[in-house]
Amino acid sequence: MSNGRQLAALLAAATAALVVIGTVWPAPSAAAYAGAKSLLGSSSTAEAAVGNLGDEIRAQAWGKAYAGLANKAQFTQPEFVHDLTGYYPSLLTYTTLDKFEVRPLHASADEAEIELKLHWATVVGSSVSIRDLHVIRNGDRWEPEWPIVKEPIVPPQVLPVNYLRWDVIYSGAGDDWGAQNVEAPHVRIVDMHPVERADGVVILGELLNEDVVPAYVSVAATLLSKNQSPIATEGSFDKISHLLLPKQVTPFLIKFPNVSLSSVGSVRMTPMSALIAASADPVIEIENEQLHPAPGASLTGQLINQSGQIVNVAHVLGTFYNQAGLVVWVADEYIDTALLPQNPVPFEIHIPEDLAKNVSSQRTVIATYSSGGSQ
Amino acid sequence: MIRSTLFVCTLFMAASGFASAQATVRVEPANLQSPRPLPEQTQTAAIRDYLKSWQSLRAALEQNRSDLLDPAFVGTARNKLAETIQQQAALGIRTRYQDSAHDIQIVFYSPEGLSIELIDRVEYDVQVFDHDRVNPIQHISARYVIVLTPAEVRWRVRVFQAALK
Amino acid sequence: MRTRPLIFLTTMALAMLQPVAAQESSLTLPKTVEAGSAFSIHIAGSGKAALYIVGLGQVLKRDVEAGGTAFFPAGSLYNAGHYLAVLAGNSSTETVSFDVVPATKPAELSFLAKPSRLPVGLHDGITGAVYVFDAYHNLIYAPTPVSFELTSPSGAVQKHVVATRDGAAWTAMDSTAQQGMDRFLARVDEISNARVIGQVPGDPCGLKMSARQSGQAILLATDPVRDCNGNAVPDGTIVTFTEAYSGGQSTVDVPLKHGIAEARMAGHSGATISVASGVVVGNQIRWEK
Repeated sequence: MSNGRQLAALLAAATAALVVIGTVWPAPSAAAYAGAKSLLGSSSTAEAAVGNLGDEIRAQAWGKAYAGLANKAQFTQPEFVHDLTGYYPSLLTYTTLDKFEVRPLHASADEAEIELKLHWATVVGSSVSIRDLHVIRNGDRWEPEWPIVKEPIVPPQVLPVNYLRWDVIYSGAGDDWGAQNVEAPHVRIVDMHPVERADGVVILGELLNEDVVPAYVSVAATLLSKNQSPIATEGSFDKISHLLLPKQVTPFLIKFPNVSLSSVGSVRMTPMSALIAASADPVIEIENEQLHPAPGASLTGQLINQSGQIVNVAHVLGTFYNQAGLVVWVADEYIDTALLPQNPVPFEIHIPEDLAKNVSSQRTVIATYSSGGSQ
Repeated sequence: MIRSTLFVCTLFMAASGFASAQATVRVEPANLQSPRPLPEQTQTAAIRDYLKSWQSLRAALEQNRSDLLDPAFVGTARNKLAETIQQQAALGIRTRYQDSAHDIQIVFYSPEGLSIELIDRVEYDVQVFDHDRVNPIQHISARYVIVLTPAEVRWRVRVFQAALK
Repeated sequence: MRTRPLIFLTTMALAMLQPVAAQESSLTLPKTVEAGSAFSIHIAGSGKAALYIVGLGQVLKRDVEAGGTAFFPAGSLYNAGHYLAVLAGNSSTETVSFDVVPATKPAELSFLAKPSRLPVGLHDGITGAVYVFDAYHNLIYAPTPVSFELTSPSGAVQKHVVATRDGAAWTAMDSTAQQGMDRFLARVDEISNARVIGQVPGDPCGLKMSARQSGQAILLATDPVRDCNGNAVPDGTIVTFTEAYSGGQSTVDVPLKHGIAEARMAGHSGATISVASGVVVGNQIRWEK
């Protein structure tokens, strides 16, 4: 009993001591998050000034971040915040800055160019944005200039919208055996083959909605061994456009980590489709699509929202074919800014270097999401 | 064919983990009148679920608890058995059913896949308990017509009706 | 607890005696009773007894006087099945089995029709299965003729008459060339059950577009899109326009509106513009400014 009391007293004393130490000599990061001061301390160098700005953005200390900018007279604080988090609801609206990197590009005694690479943690994974900051010396301090991108202005206009929409009424709940219900959309896998990659087997393919109604789709695959026993089952998750309008085609990619293609005897594909209420708008044009060879192989282009409705999140899926027309890879990118009507937004989808040489053509599809309902 | 029938019998006895462990099960080759082929997996699942329905039926009628029917019965079959249980409870009667042999043949698999019909030449014992009175066990041999329909994870009995031999 | 072995022994003894009792049964009743119809059971002997009618479909109990007749009016026993009539007296129990058979008159059809929507011109694309029941929801397993009728949008009728086997009958019908709503009817005597089947157009056929200058861009438009039977492909169907030019490509997926698809594209000089819908490829245009 007395040993227990001694241990309790010891723990209490140690805790008190650590609290005192933490208060008097706080860890820099803790102090920064508590708003005491910047993680990097004073802005005595250009890099430190940009680092401080990164810390303040990460802490969402917008006032401090704005106050430390050299060119703040050119825009308001809300404009600065919106430039970072989006003027309209988008992928960045509900995100936090996970980390950032500071890289000097050029420096002189009174000014410098610094690259600030921001890694945002979004609901669909990491999103990276890069800003090149001009930093100027002001006495013994360095102050960054924020390269503001102001809100794009959509010219006032009236867009006649004659959109199509499908709604679904199912039969009521309860025992409906024999009662008529609406048929699930008919979908068909039009291409599928497995590919061996360093980290496992990947199933690539395309799915067609051959019906006259919209379909919510997904695809699952089961790898079977040579004696037909199941090895693993996986789904396409987000490497697919889940909403398919009539006669629309989506690529899909299904990963099986740590599986060797030599152990696979066959593949059982299970496409799933369900009726879904949907709209045929907005129409997104993909303009100026260009395939860039290795090194840095990629597909670039611009998305243009041809409708009047703002698209909050766009998911770009690229299907890459070889000369024989076989799918050799599927890759995607989420656009982290909203698509305003007629306002081009660039995209860049990376292609694995080893596969880039096999790519001779591509097809791009866009899945869009607008606030107030999926599209 | 005999080998496969025996295999299926063994499978059912093992898979269903019979409470009525003595029941022997014989599955005749399907005699389908419909165009839709019946996959072996579907046949196995349907018969397994049908045999399990006897366990639900037995417990429900012995305990006069219609909720025990829910996993295995649906629609008309469930309603009729529940009505029987209600009548038993009102009269203070309980009945004990114990199946001892099944001779099953699938006769119809509807083209859209929403029903399977089978014939079961079943032998079972029934005993009636009226309050403290225990009536003798009766052995019955009957031909049952069963219609099963698919639910989320199993086949459920929708029609459960003894028919003339 | 001590009474259990006694009950077991009594039960076993009674069970052994039962076949004898059955052979000399004091119960007289029909071997089959039609569901819902009246019937009676004559009880020979004397004294008071309890009469049980026990089956998986129903349970009844009557206090009876031996030497009399127990009447069961119409509607007493209506669930088809195998039943036991158990007469329990003070010192003995007698049991006789009988069957309740479904009423002969059909009253209800369970009609499983599939699909609710299918492309035009599909052989045996529509199937229907029927289970026939009487007024008490008993499956009528005696062979019963079922008439299946499919009326297409043009008014043409396909008719098959099929007799049930073990209470079930099925048929398969073709979808016709014209889009619209079919009426699929199953009928037994005056009882019928109808379903609506949507016949929808097939894939686009002979997809064709044209292009014209519109300011700095070009306006692409398809001809009215139809399937190979001449049915208009429904609005909302996606048509893909692709403009391939030196060093790049532009694509736009647009839905059909009022039967045609329209898109505005940059129109680079020397570009090849193609059109497709699903797996159907249309014509190509080479655009020169």
